[in-house]
Amino acid sequence: MSIVAGNTAYLDRKEEAPRGIRGLLFHPAAFGVLLAVALTISLGHWFVGQAKTEITTDQWNRGVIVELMALADAAGAIETADKKSASEKLTTMLKGLPGTDDGAATYRVLRLSGARLLASTQPNDVDDMAPPRRLSRDEKWLFDLGQSLRASVQTQRDEGIYRRRQIEVEELDGGLVRVSLPYFVGEKVTGIVQSERRRTAVAATGNRLLAAGLVIGAYLLAIGALAAVGRERRDKDVTRHKPWALFAVGLVLLTLSAAVYSRSEMGDLTAAYTSLTGQLAGEFSSVKDRLGYLAGQAGVSLDPTMENRWDVDLFRRPFGVIDGDGNVKGAALADKVSEMTDRLGSALRWNWGVGLIILVFFALGYARRLRRTVQEHRSAYFYVMPAMLGMMVLAFFPFGYGILLSFSGQTVLNVSEPLADLMVGFQNYVSILGDFSLFESTAEGAVINYQNFYWTLFITVCWTMTNVAFGVTVGVLLALTLNTKGLKYTNIYRVLLILPWAIPNYITALIWKGMFHQQFGVINQGIQMFGGEPIAWFDGVFSAFMTGLITNGWLSFPFMMVITLGALQSIPADLYEAATIDGATRWQQFRHVTLPSLKPTLIPAIIISVVWTFNMFNVIYLVSGGSPAGANEILITKSYKIAFEEYRYGYAAAYSVVIFFILMFYGVFQTRMTKATEAANA
Amino acid sequence: MIGADKRTGQVSHFWLHLFLVFFTVISTYPILWVIVVGFSGQQALAFADVPADPGFLDRLRAIMPWPQTWSLDNFRDVLTEQPFLTWMMNSAIIAALTTVLGVFLACTAAYAFSRFQFPGRKAGMMSFLVSQMFPGTLLLVPIYIIITQWLGLGNSFIGLVLVYSVTAIPFCVWMMKGYFDTIPIEIEESAIMDGASRQVIFFRIILPLAKPAVAVTALFSFMTAWNEFILAATFLEEEMKYTAPVGLKFFVGGFASQWGYFAAGSMIISLPVVLLFLYLQKYLVSGLTAGGVKG
Repeated sequence: MSIVAGNTAYLDRKEEAPRGIRGLLFHPAAFGVLLAVALTISLGHWFVGQAKTEITTDQWNRGVIVELMALADAAGAIETADKKSASEKLTTMLKGLPGTDDGAATYRVLRLSGARLLASTQPNDVDDMAPPRRLSRDEKWLFDLGQSLRASVQTQRDEGIYRRRQIEVEELDGGLVRVSLPYFVGEKVTGIVQSERRRTAVAATGNRLLAAGLVIGAYLLAIGALAAVGRERRDKDVTRHKPWALFAVGLVLLTLSAAVYSRSEMGDLTAAYTSLTGQLAGEFSSVKDRLGYLAGQAGVSLDPTMENRWDVDLFRRPFGVIDGDGNVKGAALADKVSEMTDRLGSALRWNWGVGLIILVFFALGYARRLRRTVQEHRSAYFYVMPAMLGMMVLAFFPFGYGILLSFSGQTVLNVSEPLADLMVGFQNYVSILGDFSLFESTAEGAVINYQNFYWTLFITVCWTMTNVAFGVTVGVLLALTLNTKGLKYTNIYRVLLILPWAIPNYITALIWKGMFHQQFGVINQGIQMFGGEPIAWFDGVFSAFMTGLITNGWLSFPFMMVITLGALQSIPADLYEAATIDGATRWQQFRHVTLPSLKPTLIPAIIISVVWTFNMFNVIYLVSGGSPAGANEILITKSYKIAFEEYRYGYAAAYSVVIFFILMFYGVFQTRMTKATEAANA
Repeated sequence: MIGADKRTGQVSHFWLHLFLVFFTVISTYPILWVIVVGFSGQQALAFADVPADPGFLDRLRAIMPWPQTWSLDNFRDVLTEQPFLTWMMNSAIIAALTTVLGVFLACTAAYAFSRFQFPGRKAGMMSFLVSQMFPGTLLLVPIYIIITQWLGLGNSFIGLVLVYSVTAIPFCVWMMKGYFDTIPIEIEESAIMDGASRQVIFFRIILPLAKPAVAVTALFSFMTAWNEFILAATFLEEEMKYTAPVGLKFFVGGFASQWGYFAAGSMIISLPVVLLFLYLQKYLVSGLTAGGVKG
């Protein structure tokens, strides 16, 4: 309740809320109810429309598929019986199919071996283009389609999972739909049958009247409730005194309208599905009669058998709702319907949740507070907005999404499936952090497992510590030297020593990679000059580590040098004079004057360079590439490789989250440490 | 003690110079290496051919950064025969757009953080700082999805410009805010008294006063875009749309080893950045430390 109390105090300073009818109509609580219900219902309306469109389209497609499956059976049987006369028989058969006379539907039968078009009712395939003939160059897509369907069937047989579609449904221009599926001789995919026909665009919607009525009704009821509550305290703003009562009223209204809407639409949807299934059963029976007759003419017989093999999904798995005689199976239909309504129901429940959030926001006064705040600081938010928006979309949202991803098992194989279906909980984290098998035993005894997270962490920590230590030591030494009074040419030295920092680091990395070349690289030439043996830099764990260290050391010391130099020059000369008068030696001056003065500058610089080095992707990736065998990978390059070379997005995201927390932990720890030492010194 | 003046404890300048020369040689050698390979007119890594049974002098010759022949062939070829000029242009376009957008975003946000007191100010600044710790690989997959699938900007320059500008924001905002803080608020107060609006104050008074900081922000945004490699390599698919860094890697990555082209290209790309950097590095350092101390 403290929020509300605080809110009251805040509002008391502001102008009174408008009263009367206008005050009620635009009252935040009523408006909140309106918005919440409107959003819930309209989202639901959209979902329902989608679902209705989908079932209508699906049933239409299934009708086509049933016919084509029957045709495929016929084509297979005809090819099995006699290959020579297949084309002639199929052509006759296609002529007898419904839709051929008036051109409402066109058919093709393609034999893959020899790329032969066996039969076609396409208007172009007449005269010298009349089948049987070899496919022309322009029709290569048709052959490719057949190949791809054959490959899908093979994949499914090899893997035992339904991953690639075995029936292709393509939406062409002008509402034309092309359905293609394979036909078999025995177990072998021999060719494809295909049909093109126009589908009238389906734009099914939910019940508009009901939706609008519910929204308006809820709004009016909310106003009524407000008026009723407000009568007792005509002069005061109601939200301030009974926010929870109003919220409860809003919640009831929201829930009721959502429930009424979903009940009614679910009923509609069930009825629609049932009637569409009945229609499909009718189509099945007529296909069975028609094609059965045509096949009989061609001298073969068709049998969809007891289990209806023609009414299938895109993976050629039977739906099992219509039996072989064209009767609808009640229990199976009920299962399908409840599967569909369950899905829709969960979507509607999410909508209700969204509505609830809005309701809380408005009815409990958050919206009003937000509006006041935004109005009061309008120009500030105006200035921050563009940058904040950019950061939201391209930094914070991706971060949140990445965290979500880290709890999923997403890989390149299932990237098209909804994320909600791929959730694996903490499994990724467990397999990263819980895997302690640092050693694996091979024929040559125990060997370090370079793929293990803790090995990579160890390398990363070594990498960061050695690099920063090197950078700080060299940088501070050079800065002290350059700062010597009376030393000549310091400006020239300074510019030349800064150069490594100025050059883009990916170029630096590639230059060093060239210099470390085993045969032609200058470093090995230099070693041989003094009688040494050339080193295969990237073959050993230690030497490959050194290549990274040398490269990164080279490009990072100037930063520390410049920072230190700036700090040194800002130390007042009086301090040294005073120290000299007190008889301090050079070492004592350094220890008690220089070092303490450097500290405030050096510590943040060290923190920055620890973070930079920890995430120094370019040097590792471009110089050694983590060789040998991933032993010199640091965490950041490892996670990149998991994501973009192994394509395990979920796992890579979890890896990155771990990196983030390590850095966060370091940041907090370092800040605490610094504060503690400062406090101790003070 | 050799070389140390006993009276003052000063180390002799000779040793200091020796120390500095040693490090100068180390810091310039790779740069000389690139220059020599670039001007050698060949694609080889080595400066000179080493005979079958090389002696000390042959080896010494092989590491001396001096080419066997001077030639501009690599520069000519990389600009005419390779699509390098196109890649440079791509980089230039992307970097220029990033600079404009980055400076705009950073200046406005920094101005608000510096001059206004508003709810969410501290949280906003902290969130910018924390975002610097987000590992790039964590953001890469979601950003890829947002840019290519949601915004439909895959394989386009606009997508990269947006990402680069946002990448540069936190650093630039912190630096600009530090600079704005040093501009006395009295100037603005008197402008308000004279009836100037916020916009006029920002564009006519504050921005001109903050020119040095704007210049550094611009440099930083430019360098972010000009030097970036991973995102460009991930997003851009067509060879003709590559940026210069991706193109350079193309010369020496995988099975290619056109070190001459690489060296010549590196020099062309680095020269503007190195000059700008040397010119503006003082500001960059002060910006870094200011952000660091306050963070």
